[in-house]
Amino acid sequence: MRSLREYVRSFLLVELLQGLRVTGRHLFKRSVTLEFPEEVAPKSPRFRGLHALRRYPNGEERCIACKLCEAVCPALAITIDSHQRADGTRRTTRYEIDLFKCIYCGFCEESCPVDSIVETRIDWHLMESRDQRIIGKERLLEIGDQYEAQIAADRAADAPYR
Amino acid sequence: MEQAVFYLFAAILLFAATMVITVRNPVQAALFLVLAFFNAAVLWVLVGAEFLGIALVVVYVGAVMVLFLFVVMMLDITAAPMREGFARYLPVGILVAVLMVLQLGVVILSDDVALVGGLIPEPAADADNIRAIGTVLYTVYVYPFEIAAVILLVAIVAAITLTLRRRQGTKHQNIEEQLSANKANRLRVLKMEAEPRQGGEGAERQ
Amino acid sequence: MFETLFWTFSKIWAVLIPLFIGVAYFTYFERRVIGHMQDRRGPNRVGYKGLLQPFADALKLLFKEITVPTHANRVLFLLAPALSIGPAVAVWAVIPFADGWVVADINAGLLYILAMTSLGVYGIIVAGWASNSKYALLGTLRASAQVVSYEIAMGFALVGVLMAAGTMNLSGIVEAQAGPFWNWFWLPLLPLFLVYWISGVAETNRAPFDVAEGESEIVAGFHVEYSGMAFAVFFLAEYANMILICVIAAIMFLGGWYSPFHGLPVLGPALDWVPGIVWLLLKACFFAFCYLWFRATFPRYRYDQIMRLGWKVLIPVTVVWLVVLTVLIYAGVGPWF
Repeated sequence: MRSLREYVRSFLLVELLQGLRVTGRHLFKRSVTLEFPEEVAPKSPRFRGLHALRRYPNGEERCIACKLCEAVCPALAITIDSHQRADGTRRTTRYEIDLFKCIYCGFCEESCPVDSIVETRIDWHLMESRDQRIIGKERLLEIGDQYEAQIAADRAADAPYR
Repeated sequence: MEQAVFYLFAAILLFAATMVITVRNPVQAALFLVLAFFNAAVLWVLVGAEFLGIALVVVYVGAVMVLFLFVVMMLDITAAPMREGFARYLPVGILVAVLMVLQLGVVILSDDVALVGGLIPEPAADADNIRAIGTVLYTVYVYPFEIAAVILLVAIVAAITLTLRRRQGTKHQNIEEQLSANKANRLRVLKMEAEPRQGGEGAERQ
Repeated sequence: MFETLFWTFSKIWAVLIPLFIGVAYFTYFERRVIGHMQDRRGPNRVGYKGLLQPFADALKLLFKEITVPTHANRVLFLLAPALSIGPAVAVWAVIPFADGWVVADINAGLLYILAMTSLGVYGIIVAGWASNSKYALLGTLRASAQVVSYEIAMGFALVGVLMAAGTMNLSGIVEAQAGPFWNWFWLPLLPLFLVYWISGVAETNRAPFDVAEGESEIVAGFHVEYSGMAFAVFFLAEYANMILICVIAAIMFLGGWYSPFHGLPVLGPALDWVPGIVWLLLKACFFAFCYLWFRATFPRYRYDQIMRLGWKVLIPVTVVWLVVLTVLIYAGVGPWF
């Protein structure tokens, strides 16, 4: 049975007024919304966004076509073909990532013995048709060249914890 | 002007009333009945009985017909079975219709009832007929009024008792009980001492 | 005769155009206010601080195709929006915005309001039935049962006002409350005021009584199948009804166009220059804000709880208070009677 006190409370709408007070207070609080294109939320150096292939400082591409990333990829998003270059080193002829299959788990980056394939902070990429979902070696190297400074800084920031 | 308005609404009223009994779809019939009520209300307002007119809208259009539509919408009535008993009920229907026409004729044509003379009776000079109806209702006709009220109350109680049946074995929510639930009687916060970790699988895996 | 017709039409438009603009900005303020209550910002892109958002929405709806579902009753389907906007607009005829600012000053104003608000439910019923959709029909059943139930509580609350004022004419009701704010009817009729307000929220099918829309269970209730302008008309009717409930609350319980200090020695004459309509709109705005505040605060009632609240709590409360009110009036208590 409800006690008399609760009965009176329900008629005085006490709990409703308490609820109204909470929302009323929040009306005057600062809103937490970010105005997206102008304001961007800060990202961690560990952020896993769009992929990139890095180069050594002398311009030589790092990837040695060991295919560890292809093997470890849980979504089978990476396809690699390799050949032997004139100087006897092994390089990729094809390095493709299907962005629709990729789950951005970062295993490729973990498995890479030469720190070639990395995931950058770029989270705002888009495509206009389905065939643009596969990005090839040239594009990956391009992204790597463009963001090399940030990529290197992010790796350096995370290095003490590895 | 007033005559034109009268004939307009009277024509719509007659049209709607005809459609009520001729249209196949019961929901449409009910909606035409709503239209008929509404036009009747307008006619009443036109002769100065604004209280009756608006009360007709509030009671019949606003409440009764809504419940009516409610029921009709829930039923799946097809047109064919509705026409089944048409021939059988025709004589009774005609009898009722003739009777009603006769009654109306007697009322309209008799000399005792002063309806003949104008299309629309002159509205009372004092337009506030709500006050007038109230005064008459609570002085001259107070007993019939109260008795009618009691009869309606009895009818309400009877209708509720008819539908009120408690079946055994059904589960119901007790809303009172649900509403009176609070944190104190649903949630118990236990204070526990921290226990040392026991040796075993879980500990090793750490 | 044509002169009176002309003037009546101008008056009607003078009420309707601000009403529609009010509806447009009510939707804007709803999104802004609820946004801020949830620590968001709400629409702020179209125009300065998003002030052109309602027009963007209206344009969008205007250009959308009106689809009629298969096996829907085409005539009734397209008639339903008209049935819901008609009464919502017609009620405004008897609303006095200031002393003498009323389209039709009829004696049975209060009854007329009740009649028109009860007509509004037909738009919902017809829309739900004609859509030939189970969600729409469920929404319709809920909406109409709710409106019919709460109409009784609302009617009783207004009967209290009627008893206190002794007239059904809305201008007369406001004039009966002349004086400072403690002279208004909200004080002697406080329980009825609350009942009126709660049933007003329920009557317009707004949160927390919005089971008729119930977007999480029956997607949008009676207007699931509507798109484009047909949907916009329902929207317009709903918001016009909400504003109406706010304005009626201000007229019935908060002294309509009188300033809160009317008749006081110093403040009364000092505020005399403010036109009456400003006070009425300010009071109505407060209630409109409460609508949004409730929506941001309260979770939706369960359907059986709505019915229980209407029939077992609000109606008994009004009946009891009507008896108390009779005693108060008979004893001639306070500054009111």
